Amino acid sequence: MRVLLVEDEPTLRAQLRAGLQEAGYVVDTADNGRDAQHLGENEPFDAVVLDLGLPVLDGLSVLKRWREASHTVPVLILTARDSWHEKVAGIDAGADDYLAKPFHMEELLARLRALIRRAQGLASPLLQCGALALDTRSGRVTLAGQPVTLTSHEFKLLAYLMHRPGKVVSRTELTEHLYAQDFDRDSNTIEVFIGRLRRKLPTDAIETVRGMGYRLTAGT
Amino acid sequence: MAAPGWTQSLRFRLLAATLVALLLALALAGLLLAGLFREHVTRQFSRTLTAQLDQVTARLEFDAAGQPQIDPTALTDPRWSRPLSGLYWQVDGVGSTAQAGRLRSRSLWDATLALPSDALADGVVHVHETAGPGGAPLLVVERTVKRDDTAAAPWRLMVAADLRDTAAAVQRFNGELAASLGLLLLLLCAAALAQVVVGLAPLRALQRALARIRGGQAQRLEGRFPNEVQPLIDDFNSVLERNADVVARARTQAGNLAHAIKTPLSALAQAAASARQHPEATTELAALVEEQVGTARRQVDWHLARARAAAAQGVPGARVALQPVVAGLQRVMQRVHAERHLALTSDALAPELAFAGELQDLQEMLGNLLDNACKWARSEVRVSGALVLLNSRPRLRIHVDDDGPGISAEARNAVMARGARLDESVPGSGLGLAIVNELVGLYGGHIALQASPCGGLRVEVDLPSA
Repeated sequence: MRVLLVEDEPTLRAQLRAGLQEAGYVVDTADNGRDAQHLGENEPFDAVVLDLGLPVLDGLSVLKRWREASHTVPVLILTARDSWHEKVAGIDAGADDYLAKPFHMEELLARLRALIRRAQGLASPLLQCGALALDTRSGRVTLAGQPVTLTSHEFKLLAYLMHRPGKVVSRTELTEHLYAQDFDRDSNTIEVFIGRLRRKLPTDAIETVRGMGYRLTAGT
Repeated sequence: MAAPGWTQSLRFRLLAATLVALLLALALAGLLLAGLFREHVTRQFSRTLTAQLDQVTARLEFDAAGQPQIDPTALTDPRWSRPLSGLYWQVDGVGSTAQAGRLRSRSLWDATLALPSDALADGVVHVHETAGPGGAPLLVVERTVKRDDTAAAPWRLMVAADLRDTAAAVQRFNGELAASLGLLLLLLCAAALAQVVVGLAPLRALQRALARIRGGQAQRLEGRFPNEVQPLIDDFNSVLERNADVVARARTQAGNLAHAIKTPLSALAQAAASARQHPEATTELAALVEEQVGTARRQVDWHLARARAAAAQGVPGARVALQPVVAGLQRVMQRVHAERHLALTSDALAPELAFAGELQDLQEMLGNLLDNACKWARSEVRVSGALVLLNSRPRLRIHVDDDGPGISAEARNAVMARGARLDESVPGSGLGLAIVNELVGLYGGHIALQASPCGGLRVEVDLPSA
């Protein structure tokens, strides 16, 4: 999952970036409103963590511009302005959730997970596809109740597919959502990781749709 | 902004308006008086001349041949006989006996008065202006007479007098009139100036009083002012007092906040010092930092909320409709508590349900109440509002109901206290209800915790209605 983190305070940005990466997210950052607007309009993110008090262009304006341009990416506002008046303004500008500083990293991660899940129309934090299950809260993957051990990259790939059960996901989409902007995307690492996942899951769990991409199926 | 010119001066405006009005009034009066005087003099002149004509007519006799005769010695005014004296008489023949200057006064000397011929009824007096000897302007009154017994030819009998004396008198009068009016204008202008200076004196006093406040020598506008200005001064003084009050309260709050933050800061400093000595005890340090940051945050939240409430209280005329505020907060709750899948409902909130106060404060109160309700509710949070009469004053009564576990009657007082948290299993600062309580108190309202018909807690808030 790829997340855009918009925060102008360098220390907090570094801490948040580390916390998000540790939780398995691919993180791009912006430290001002204009860069944030540009990134949000041109890169496919699964969620945005947005500070409101930003240089150049304030966070609320960035959010309004995205929504006017019909960008539906889930946005979590993270700000020190925590009066209910400002929360109403934030939500009405198109935010999906609101978290006031100071905050606990666990709460931010929980809210972010929920946002990404709800954006795919999934109500429960326990994602299931046939015998395969992924608990978004703990990050545990089980197959017919038995734990499956995955590397960080394998987990990111599977989590992305589990959020889109039955949908065809192209290799480009996977690359865009699993690697940050500055990553060399010409490699064939996606195929390598698909291959590794297939060895750990039922063979027909990840189906190749020729010329289009991959699809996670309930299996047999 | 343009430089304040003379036109911006109150004194200039008053004086200019007065001067224009005075000039107009005096010019009109001058024209009117001059006209009246000229008319009066002319009328008087022609009346005198008519009397002279009567005198000449009385001396007119006809001889046996029907020719007119006037005995000059019978006319007493010496001007009749002094040549070119300015007073003349003349008798002209009319019709078959037409002859200008048949008889003339001696004063006419060798000149003859030439009048346009006009047919006149017997005895009617007619007035002409004509040029006399030496081109002098003359006023002439004439009448036509006949011998009464016969159908003899009529005669024009005329008397003329020089107009130059009269014109000179009118001119002299006009000159004196203009001089008098000019003097009057000067006096009136001086009076107006004095009036403006005296009238505006309180404003200068006000300016001085304000300068004293600006200079820090006074706290309020001092001195007695005229009845027209005093209410303004009183209002201004009450604004100053309120301002001073707000500043004092803000200072106190800033001081309170600084002191409140100092405690966690010193705890953190202690912890940092001890961590330097025992670098291995990082777990303890983390817990302590978290705890102290939490304390500091609660203090900041609390004082911010109090500052907002203190700054807003008693704002007159503010009217906030309840329905849009509830709808906005419900949108926030739907998002922030999305994981709880709650049904957020509100009874139809009529448009006349409105709060007399600041929008932000109502949002702060209801936001905290709804947030609390959403944290505890099992499935439903309901908001309702009504207008009630308390002590014959209309009040806005709002109920926030949830179907959560509720609070026992004994515990209800405790939760109102600042920082009180009955259950640590739900995240929160424990400030929500205390902030609501504070805000409600500042608006002179009332808050009560009750058992809800939904099964959980009901919070009832009474607020001033707009």
